[in-house]
Amino acid sequence: MTQEHQPILTLQAVRKSYRGRAALQGISLQLFPGELLGFFGPNGAGKTTMIRCICGLLKPDEGSISLRIPDSFRGSRASRPGLVPQNLAVYPDLTVQQNLEVFGRLEGVRGAALQQRIDEVLDWSALRDRRRSLARTLSGGMQRRLNIACSVLHRPAVLLLDEPTVGVDPQSRERIYAMMQELTAAGTAVLLTTHQLEEVETRCDRIVVMDHGQIVADGRLPQLVASSLGLPHRVELSFQHACTVELRDFEFDEQRLTAVCRLASMQQLPGVLEVLQRLPEPPQAINVRSFGLQDVFLALTGRSLRE
Amino acid sequence: MILTFLRIACLRLRNNPLELLLVFVMPVLFFSIFAMIFSQGIAAGTEKPVRLGLLLPEGNVAAAELQSELRQNSSLICTDLGVLPTESEGRERVILEAQNSSRYDLLLLLPTDFSTAEEARFQVRLVTDGQNAMAVAMVRAILEEYYAVQRVEGVVEKLQDAAQAAAEVAAAAAERALPAVDDPEGQGSFFRDPVSPRRVFDGSGAPASVESELSPVAAEQPASVLDPPLDSAPGMSADVVDVDTENLLTAGPEPQISVDNPQAADQQNPRIAMYAAGIAVLFLLFACTGHAATMLEEAESGTLDRILVSEAGLLQIVAGKWLGIFLMGCLQLSVMFVFAEAVFRIHLWSHLDGFLVMAGCTSAATASFAMLMATLCRTRSQLQGTATVIILSMSAMGGSMIPRFVMSDRMKELGRWTFNAWALDGFQKVFWFQSPIESLRPEVTVLLGSSLVMSLATLLLSGRWRRGL
Repeated sequence: MTQEHQPILTLQAVRKSYRGRAALQGISLQLFPGELLGFFGPNGAGKTTMIRCICGLLKPDEGSISLRIPDSFRGSRASRPGLVPQNLAVYPDLTVQQNLEVFGRLEGVRGAALQQRIDEVLDWSALRDRRRSLARTLSGGMQRRLNIACSVLHRPAVLLLDEPTVGVDPQSRERIYAMMQELTAAGTAVLLTTHQLEEVETRCDRIVVMDHGQIVADGRLPQLVASSLGLPHRVELSFQHACTVELRDFEFDEQRLTAVCRLASMQQLPGVLEVLQRLPEPPQAINVRSFGLQDVFLALTGRSLRE
Repeated sequence: MILTFLRIACLRLRNNPLELLLVFVMPVLFFSIFAMIFSQGIAAGTEKPVRLGLLLPEGNVAAAELQSELRQNSSLICTDLGVLPTESEGRERVILEAQNSSRYDLLLLLPTDFSTAEEARFQVRLVTDGQNAMAVAMVRAILEEYYAVQRVEGVVEKLQDAAQAAAEVAAAAAERALPAVDDPEGQGSFFRDPVSPRRVFDGSGAPASVESELSPVAAEQPASVLDPPLDSAPGMSADVVDVDTENLLTAGPEPQISVDNPQAADQQNPRIAMYAAGIAVLFLLFACTGHAATMLEEAESGTLDRILVSEAGLLQIVAGKWLGIFLMGCLQLSVMFVFAEAVFRIHLWSHLDGFLVMAGCTSAATASFAMLMATLCRTRSQLQGTATVIILSMSAMGGSMIPRFVMSDRMKELGRWTFNAWALDGFQKVFWFQSPIESLRPEVTVLLGSSLVMSLATLLLSGRWRRGL
């Protein structure tokens, strides 16, 4: 196994309880260099507890958390993960530059190295023009970028982001994801906690779903759909009158007014449509849709409201 | 790492003009208001004259004499409000109007038959709105004194009349029985020109001196003439005739009452330093608590988590915050006292060592209090609410709002459970009593001891920051 394929972060059967209530029930997880991992679950699933354990803020009751720093990060202070909290975790009364300076110092970066790193980070986050502005006067998108920038000054090998794109406009969102791509390209492993499912679907390399303190799914989206929902595409037919013809692979309701078929690939769709065209009474409506993360999520975690 | 927290505190303060204003300007402003009130009031030793409204009957000689007497009293500012209406309704209306105008501390009403004669009843009505109890006591004393003097003069006149009658009888008898006796020079004119005593109220509540208005001739008489020995007068008539009204009223040496405060002898107004301390400690508690509340803000926003993940440990975070609050407190107290020195001359430079000790101890105690409060509370609003109640209670009991010397012994004892009391006692010793620095040992022990206990409690409870809110 090459170094790139060895995990940076490994959680092994991690358990954590609060006052007798199990928050984590044997979590095992690996995070690889350059990987963007989408991590999500319902409220109260145990995500925050897991992140606090990874950061070292909480000590697991059982299990182990290990960090293996790749050679490309040697010499830096990469062994401490960077944490980007959901809220604006910077000092609003300090300027962009001052925030970067104090958080850099708190991470142990000082002197010329700190100034050089601040310059790099200002360019990376596109905040150079606003370096003398107070953080509270920045736009929502700029504040989010500053929030992330303050966490990477020490070049962490693992970056933990909690809802980094909440409340920002599409342009800022694009910029934030571009920043994350630059980080992963440099070998940083990024664990992204979010409820923005479409972003996870399109941007993350791997997806982990957590519920009730356990990981209930782990993989790429097609794998998750296949494991939780079966075939990924669905064709729904509606008839004006009860359909008298038997259609292969379609399941009818009792009145035979609606029928449903699952497809393994969209390449099968033209054949299905051709069959439907030949019917004496074609369907009134044809609805075709592919399963997404939302369906996987609801299939795995249920529809009941959480905390 | 701790220096980084200090840097954060300084930068936040520098970038936030409103906070600067609240921390350094507001206390000075409030202190100035208090100092101006007290430096020109009770603390300065100068009393404001009583504003007395006069409602007197028309054509009453005794009332006019009393009015004249009151006008000469420097403790009073007398204003004629016109003639007292005879009918009850009009009288009450005039009183009400005068009271509503708020221009008078007290109204003096004399009846139409007002008299100071012995056989008459001395009737005076004082009307107060209850705001100035001292004015009532002062005017009452002046009136009682005036009445007493009038009564003495009446007695003297009677004695003079009796003596003159006796002298005439004796002279007639002497003419018949003895050779003529020379009349003592000027004595006859002295008796005919009675002394008119006038007492002056000096504002301190006690008569400072008694003055007598003598005729020029009488004033030039040697004491032996004014008060000849009983046996010097020829015959029995001398015993009867030789009555000296001056001696009746000024018997004994003139009273001299002086008030000394050796501990504050060289200070213009030693109480100012105490008020500076009182206000300073009150604002210090608020400022420190506000600063400690940033810990809760940081916890709510996730900044604290970010810092906890960094190289800084929890101990360093707590220590850095404490140090920032402590230094800000020292600076706030220094600004306050330097201002007090510049404007009110509290003799800061000659008491610098005592000030530094007390400022350090007080800031340490308030910083620890603020950190403990922040650790115990869950949210900033909870901290603000709780701290406001506790700080105001401590300040009221501890003497920041009301001087402790006007409190009952019980309240003074309760005040001992507050920082304010110990801090103010210390500052009082330094600036008012000018006690040596060694005398601050009890205050220093209590303030530093409580600071230590609260800091330890904060450290013990600070694990909650790691667990999250």
